[in-house]
Amino acid sequence: MIDGQSELLRGLTPEEAEQVRGLAARITLTSGAELFTLGTEADRLYVVTRGRIKLTLPMQVRGLERNILVEERTAGQIVGWSALIPPYRFTLAATAMVQSEVLAISRDALREHFAASPKVGYTIAMNLAAVVGERLQLFQAMWLREMERMVELRCA
Amino acid sequence: MLLMGVCLSMFGLAVACLAFGAATRTDEQSPVAAQPQPAAAQAAAKTRFFVDPVALPAGAQARVSIEALLLQIESHVRLEQAAAESFLESPTPALLHSRTISPLVN
Repeated sequence: MIDGQSELLRGLTPEEAEQVRGLAARITLTSGAELFTLGTEADRLYVVTRGRIKLTLPMQVRGLERNILVEERTAGQIVGWSALIPPYRFTLAATAMVQSEVLAISRDALREHFAASPKVGYTIAMNLAAVVGERLQLFQAMWLREMERMVELRCA
Repeated sequence: MLLMGVCLSMFGLAVACLAFGAATRTDEQSPVAAQPQPAAAQAAAKTRFFVDPVALPAGAQARVSIEALLLQIESHVRLEQAAAESFLESPTPALLHSRTISPLVN
């Protein structure tokens, strides 16, 4: 269930959260089903309500292109915030690792709702900023660790 | 009669010697045999009287090893994310440089 504890609706009143929930369409994904692919137009934001979604990037492994796990998202977490950030293209691919369920909220519906309820728009924008910021900090730390190893190897 | 038997025996022995010589000459005098053989060919020669061991095709072996490598990469990503999350919860240089048990870096 998407509720006040989900990343997207944190800080909203139950009534405000219910209004946002009313904008969403429920999508069920079988295990292995693709939610979206890298580079495609991002026009919907997703919230995982059940199951597990794998975010991947293509990587060259021994000359073969394989999708490599970047992150996993579980119930209550947001997937596809590229839908709200130009150029509105998915920068990762998302696949269901097990049978999963997501709520899909279109960008246009969210924008209209934000225009009508600026406070809700502000709270959700801050929630999204927190998700994006966490990922940035996480990958910043991971990048530095990989850089350290590369330098160690080069100097060994 | 005895003399005839001896002659036939000698003839038979001579034919057997010639046949043996012809059979072994190719292995000893072949220019290919004189050259050093690749290890794979030597191994094949050693096992030619036995049933070849069941072996995966080269493509299948490569696929298996790539799958194993992908699992290692996935494990590495999970361990690195956990290490990075620990750092974000409590940002210290020690946690930033902490080691993991990832087989890709050990």
